[in-house]
Amino acid sequence: MEAWVVATGLIFVYLLATVVLGAVANRRMTVDMEDFLLYGRKAGFVVLYLTVVATFHSAFAFLGSGGFFYSHGIGFWAAGTWTVLVGAITYVLGPRIWALGKRFGYITPADMLADFYESEAVRVLVAIVSVVFTILYIQVQAQGLGYIINVASGDRISFELGTLILLIVAAAYLMAGGLRAVYWTDVIQGVWMYIAVWVGAMYLAYELFGGPIELMRAVGEARPDLLSLPGPNGFFTPGMWIGMTITLSFGIIFQPHMMIRYYTAVDSKTLKILGATTPIYLMTLYVPAALVGLGGAVAMPGLDVPDRIFPELLFAHAPPILTGVILAGATAAAMSTLDSILHANMSVLTRDIYQRYVAPDREASHYVWVGRGIVLALLVVGYFLSVRTFDFLVVLVTLSGSGALQLMPAILGVCFPGPRLTTRLGVLTGITAGLATLYVTLVVAPHPMGLHGGVWALGVNMLLTLVVSRVTQPPSEETVQRIHGEIESEIYGSSSA
Amino acid sequence: MTPTRFRSHWLPRTTSGRLAVVLYVGLFALCMPPVTHVLWDQSDRWVGGVPVFFVALFVVYTLLIGVLVWAWRKGL
Repeated sequence: MEAWVVATGLIFVYLLATVVLGAVANRRMTVDMEDFLLYGRKAGFVVLYLTVVATFHSAFAFLGSGGFFYSHGIGFWAAGTWTVLVGAITYVLGPRIWALGKRFGYITPADMLADFYESEAVRVLVAIVSVVFTILYIQVQAQGLGYIINVASGDRISFELGTLILLIVAAAYLMAGGLRAVYWTDVIQGVWMYIAVWVGAMYLAYELFGGPIELMRAVGEARPDLLSLPGPNGFFTPGMWIGMTITLSFGIIFQPHMMIRYYTAVDSKTLKILGATTPIYLMTLYVPAALVGLGGAVAMPGLDVPDRIFPELLFAHAPPILTGVILAGATAAAMSTLDSILHANMSVLTRDIYQRYVAPDREASHYVWVGRGIVLALLVVGYFLSVRTFDFLVVLVTLSGSGALQLMPAILGVCFPGPRLTTRLGVLTGITAGLATLYVTLVVAPHPMGLHGGVWALGVNMLLTLVVSRVTQPPSEETVQRIHGEIESEIYGSSSA
Repeated sequence: MTPTRFRSHWLPRTTSGRLAVVLYVGLFALCMPPVTHVLWDQSDRWVGGVPVFFVALFVVYTLLIGVLVWAWRKGL
């Protein structure tokens, strides 16, 4: 049987499995906002673990990381720093956010920030940042999916049709089963993508070089420039290393599709175990990516699109069945992020905008149906953005990775009680100035003095937040006692000041 | 009414907590510049057939995960 038939067939088997899971999740669902949007706050360790890692690792981790090793060499092993940092952030922040969500019924990040800072302006600004800077990831993931199915079918299914099919499938199981369907499919996707990357990389290492050690030796002889910093194109400077570590850890965790996961845990202990152990999965996924990228630079040099190195090597050297299984794994990587972003945007738009300002005090079933309608709208927008290229989108994609990072001072102000308080005007000024600085340091004059633009923006944001907070009105005493008291109680077992 | 403030959550309050923070921050410094670009960036030195850069950082990452697991086991 031809390779494309096997590869495409396996992807469609995988898609069918996700739809079936969505249908089963729908039968378990109750008509309740917390159940539809937050899995009823009942996610246990295994489900939460696999949904967090699958969501964190998108199509980029599966395809793009190999491309990064291929182009920029061993410096991309820096990926380990931000994955271990993600674990520590989850360990420290996760239980705090979970406790507040459980106690005060928060569903979105804006719920928490607007409550503490007693400000509807904060709610709207956070909701806008949450949606604008993540909706573009729908485009990125959808384009990745279209590309994967196009490659798997040997150009028989067009990029546009592939994108549409996969967007419809993700939207269908999300609309049917809400976050429960997303979590259940993420369990399959998390397992599948991990096994697929490792099996594919090891197969190629043995097939092409005789093993991983021999692969490294071949790279050392043929391309020694790939084994030192800052890499052949001078990319991994100290400033870029530090910047990527901060933006790809805090910047991703503060995106709504990741933060919402903290609300869904069954208890805070689950989040601590999660923080301690998720880096094992996240970090070790970059080991096979290094083998693919570095080995590919020797075995298949001169690729115009380095991100294609993994599928190109598979089609050239692996049996069809293995290629199919691995490309289905790539589909899983992209879909697990896509469905989570669709869900997060649906939650923010339903909860922070529609329920708050358009139609408050309706039945839960009303909001569930509105949420489904929003998913449909996001599907149309996502497809439109995926198949068309706009100049302003290129700019926004450049900004998106560091956009959510600008929520950091505001979130830390809520989650870390102390003698000095962050204020409403402080965070509004900080976020606004941070976003403006981001535009300058990423678009107008990228990465001044070799330091990642996102870090410059965060520095300006933090400075202004601190300064303005010193001279403006803090949240009311009642709110500080209520929210910081809950965190004190959760972390230290006592709410006394 | 005099506003009451909670003790800072930025500094750990127990000996084990302080040890965990010092260990994590100290180890984390080993996987950040300048250590990465000065100490580990030696393409001519290999350990077990793998560049020392890759091995050293893998060890540091593993130790960092170890600190998190230790903190969890200690109930921090």
